[in-house]
Amino acid sequence: MAHITINQYLQQVYEAIDNHEGSFCAELLSFKHPHVANPRLQLASPEEKCQQVLEVPYDEMVAAHLRCTYAVSNHDFVEAYKCQTLVVQYPFVMFAVTLDLRIFANNAEQQLLRKGKGKLGDMLEKAAEQLMGCFRVCASDNRAGIDDSKKWGMLFLINQLFKIYFKINKLHLCKPLIRAIDSSNLKDDYSMAQRVTYKYYVGRKAMFDSDYKPAEEYLSFSFQHCHRSSQRNKRMILIYLLPVKMLLGHMPNHQLLRKYDLMQFADVTKAVSEGNLLLLNEALAKHETFFIRCGIFLILEKLKIITYRNLFKKVYQLLKTHQLPLDAFLVALKMMQVEEVDIDEVQCILANLICEGHIKGYISHQHQKLVVSKANPFPLLSSSS
Amino acid sequence: ISKTQSATKTAQSVAVRSFGISAVYYLSFTSFFSPIYYLSLPSQPPSLPVMEDQSSSYPSQPQPPPPAAPQPPPQSPTSSEQPPPPPPPAIPPPPNSQYPLPPGQNSYNPMPYPNNDPNQMRGYNHNQGRPSYGQSYQTPNSYQQQQNNNQHQQQGQGQYGPGAGRGEANKNKNHQQQLPQQQQLWHRMKQAPGAGTMKFNIPKRPYVMTNQSFPPGEQPTGLAATPSSPAAAPAAPGGAQTRPQDWPQAMKEYVQRCFTACENEEDKDRTEKGLKEVLQKRLQDGSAYTIDWDREPLPELKAKQSRWEAVPTQRTLESSVGRGGATRGRGGGARLGHYRNVFSQRSPSSSSSGSSSRSPSPSHSRHRDRNGQRHRRSDSESQSDSSMSSDLRTQLPRRNQKGGRGRGGDRDRGRGGGERGRGRGGRGNRGRRNMDDANSTVLGKKRKGGNAGLDFHDPHREAKKQSRAARFHNTKMRSEPLVLSINNLELPKEDLSWDDCPIVGTCQEITKIYLRLTCAPDPATVRPVSVLRKSLLAVKAHWKTRQDYPYACEQMKSIRQDLTVQGVRTEFTVEVYECHARIALEKGDHAEFNQCQMQLKALYKDNPSENIGEFTAYRLLYYIFTKNSGDITTELVYLTAALRADECVSHALSLRAAWALGNFHRFFQLYRRAPRMASYLIDKFVERERMIALRALFKTFRPDLPVEYVQSSLGFLCLDSCMAFLTGLGVTFFPSDPSKIDCKTSSASLAAS
Repeated sequence: MAHITINQYLQQVYEAIDNHEGSFCAELLSFKHPHVANPRLQLASPEEKCQQVLEVPYDEMVAAHLRCTYAVSNHDFVEAYKCQTLVVQYPFVMFAVTLDLRIFANNAEQQLLRKGKGKLGDMLEKAAEQLMGCFRVCASDNRAGIDDSKKWGMLFLINQLFKIYFKINKLHLCKPLIRAIDSSNLKDDYSMAQRVTYKYYVGRKAMFDSDYKPAEEYLSFSFQHCHRSSQRNKRMILIYLLPVKMLLGHMPNHQLLRKYDLMQFADVTKAVSEGNLLLLNEALAKHETFFIRCGIFLILEKLKIITYRNLFKKVYQLLKTHQLPLDAFLVALKMMQVEEVDIDEVQCILANLICEGHIKGYISHQHQKLVVSKANPFPLLSSSS
Repeated sequence: ISKTQSATKTAQSVAVRSFGISAVYYLSFTSFFSPIYYLSLPSQPPSLPVMEDQSSSYPSQPQPPPPAAPQPPPQSPTSSEQPPPPPPPAIPPPPNSQYPLPPGQNSYNPMPYPNNDPNQMRGYNHNQGRPSYGQSYQTPNSYQQQQNNNQHQQQGQGQYGPGAGRGEANKNKNHQQQLPQQQQLWHRMKQAPGAGTMKFNIPKRPYVMTNQSFPPGEQPTGLAATPSSPAAAPAAPGGAQTRPQDWPQAMKEYVQRCFTACENEEDKDRTEKGLKEVLQKRLQDGSAYTIDWDREPLPELKAKQSRWEAVPTQRTLESSVGRGGATRGRGGGARLGHYRNVFSQRSPSSSSSGSSSRSPSPSHSRHRDRNGQRHRRSDSESQSDSSMSSDLRTQLPRRNQKGGRGRGGDRDRGRGGGERGRGRGGRGNRGRRNMDDANSTVLGKKRKGGNAGLDFHDPHREAKKQSRAARFHNTKMRSEPLVLSINNLELPKEDLSWDDCPIVGTCQEITKIYLRLTCAPDPATVRPVSVLRKSLLAVKAHWKTRQDYPYACEQMKSIRQDLTVQGVRTEFTVEVYECHARIALEKGDHAEFNQCQMQLKALYKDNPSENIGEFTAYRLLYYIFTKNSGDITTELVYLTAALRADECVSHALSLRAAWALGNFHRFFQLYRRAPRMASYLIDKFVERERMIALRALFKTFRPDLPVEYVQSSLGFLCLDSCMAFLTGLGVTFFPSDPSKIDCKTSSASLAAS
């Protein structure tokens, strides 16, 4: 439908609405569809035409949409965002238009920031408010018929909201949304794509809350069910799944890392499993920017604890005794070039390891020795936590 | 013709209904706001902008010339009469001449303070689009009125509730109106930049939605499904093009009187309809300019004589009081009594009708012109305020004699509660539906455009049916020009910035009491930077010698305020905020400290300071305190290498790393080496970390642990403080050697606690 006229376009919309062709209608209002590049549709004031063909409130939606295409063609995303908010005010072909809304909010914000105006996150927050409005409409749909309940729209909106909340660092706002889904009887019946997205975000949230077990569960689900062609998404899932898995004692193999172009993790993995604290520090420092941008630096940092454990296990294996002098650990740490380390710090590190169950044993302060259990002093990571 | 008539009628009635709804919605919503919000209402622009769009697109759409379609105008003229209450800022109650411009031309800006905020401007421009509306809209009075209405409604019984509550509401109103100070406040509030814009989100949406619509009556609403209908309709009405502003003064007053007499929406509706008819005729044949309006009987408040007769004495009393009290200040008490009587007479049925009128589908209301309604409401209110006159009194009986159709108890109601009527009456337009029974002829004349398709014979039944049908048809096709109200959307960046209205202070006082700004700053009370520098020094000196935090805080705040209102964002500003942040930190004033931190973060972008590292470190430490790993990560993203090298930042980073890994040994070492004022921040969470560490220690060490070790590793300065901490936790010591902790039992007791 290259370069149809405005009237043709409106006719199409009209028929789509009339024939209840939701998905086609959604396309016609979506920015994923090529019609948005059609200069004949990019009108500064399409109101009148829309009004003549379409019914209330579709005319407003479509007019706003067309004006939005106009704004986008002018690279004015602020304006585009404003138009899109008008499109979104009616819960109709919601998925398409809310998605666009979020994208425009994002772009508009970038644009504003470039101009030095606005505050980071303001625009997105506004968009989130809009989406929340839609969400409430969906969530409060209590009609009996589950088949055409608006509740089916909840998860999509939640995912959009998650995207915003994660972006603006307002994770606490996710909680009520998660609760809404948890208490929903539809939660396992939404489309897989939506569930994958949802679990991805919930998993990330759990990870940031240091709930690694559930995080692993969610992210694994997400990874396993993510469509095979969505390599980029799978990679994104892995970025969070890997650290969680490693914290729980499952190290990724090289192949996987290579397949998803995540070689930044290679040295980390190696260092952790070898107990090579030095290498770990180097690896973290080397890819620090990447890790920080992904938001996983602080999680990966916790791998140091695992690395201590592996390092100390080696000490134990070397000494072959159950009463390990603390000095031995000090030597090991110094070998790893840990700065300013002293015997007190060794005790401190050991205390943490014991406390978290990575080592079974106790410290005798008087004798300056670590006494480890004869049976399985270094329990498997995957079993300990 | 009859077909079209009835069709338009129904269309109108639908419009009216939806109107009613929106008004109610609006009312109930205002009631949620505390008085202060409420006061700031008038400044809220979002509601205004609607009109501009409308007027701009208005001409493009063929349309019934306003005066010919008498519905909306009857009120507008009244509104042009400035409601006596609080005059809009800087503008004396304008006579009509103030509005020479026809609607749509915006040249008159009522804003007393130049205001660059696009939002605001837009808002006010809208007013000019329809001067009369805008005018009355601006007066706080209208809001007050709504509030009163609210109160009525909240009394459960709504308008028919016992008079007391209503009276109270009225009293309030009068009260407010009387107090010049209040008014002052209002205006100031209005000016306070950003104040209004931000306040509510709720109303925005409705406004946005309502944009596209016209005051219900003005447009041929459509059963006519063809696109051509809008074009056809306007041609029909024809008629005087006179605008409300151009009307003879006497006529305006007359209209006001008419509305003053109305008690409730229904009355208003009726009055409006009647007026339309009359005025249109008069305007067309020119008699409007010759007739003695003062003598003209008020139209069609007829019927329900019986009820009415009972009231007149009170009525007169009432109105005379009203007069005496210069329109606004009518005595509350005496009237209250009357009201009560009146109300008690009121029939319950009327209440039901009132409510039902409002109930119809809210969705329609969205498309209705909420603004218009609102304005109108306020108009009528103001009229009633200003124009309760003796003429009216004399006319009332006449009206009654005229008698009329279907007015029953309503009128009674309307009358009795003169004031209430005002409150209510504003919504009069809602009641348009009543037009159905009254002047269908007028309507017919006005709009031929409509619905040729429907033919009914029984006027009343027909009207009802049609209104029902019209409701559906109405949704189908937009009858008013669609206007995308994009500009109404408030954008965060469009906050009014202080930079937009720079002022330079002239105050020379070194110290100044901090008062929260509730109005536009007065340069005479604002200190220029040169003075502020001295002030800062004075505060610092005072702080050093006296350590009087409340005083210092107040002074700092007033310095900050003066800087803000003058839009000063220089190194000096940074210095002030840094200073205040440090003082607040020292005294543990979280709120102020965080405020300063926020400002500093923004200020540093333009004014690099040597202390940037220090305050970045504080922020990091604060995130540790709040355990906000998300914010820490964000902060890490923006840390430059140079910043990382900063003494404070690197310390904070090391501390964070130690904290994250539970390396309490290192953590407390760093705690004791904290640079500058970092330890004040760490103090906030040092106890928490001690507890965690202690648990780990007790769980790990066997059989005992010397207190000295705990002291050194947990960063206690002396043994005594350590002992105090431990005993406070119920730690057990070995009886044989009190310097050694029994880890096993202590661990258990710690876990239990």
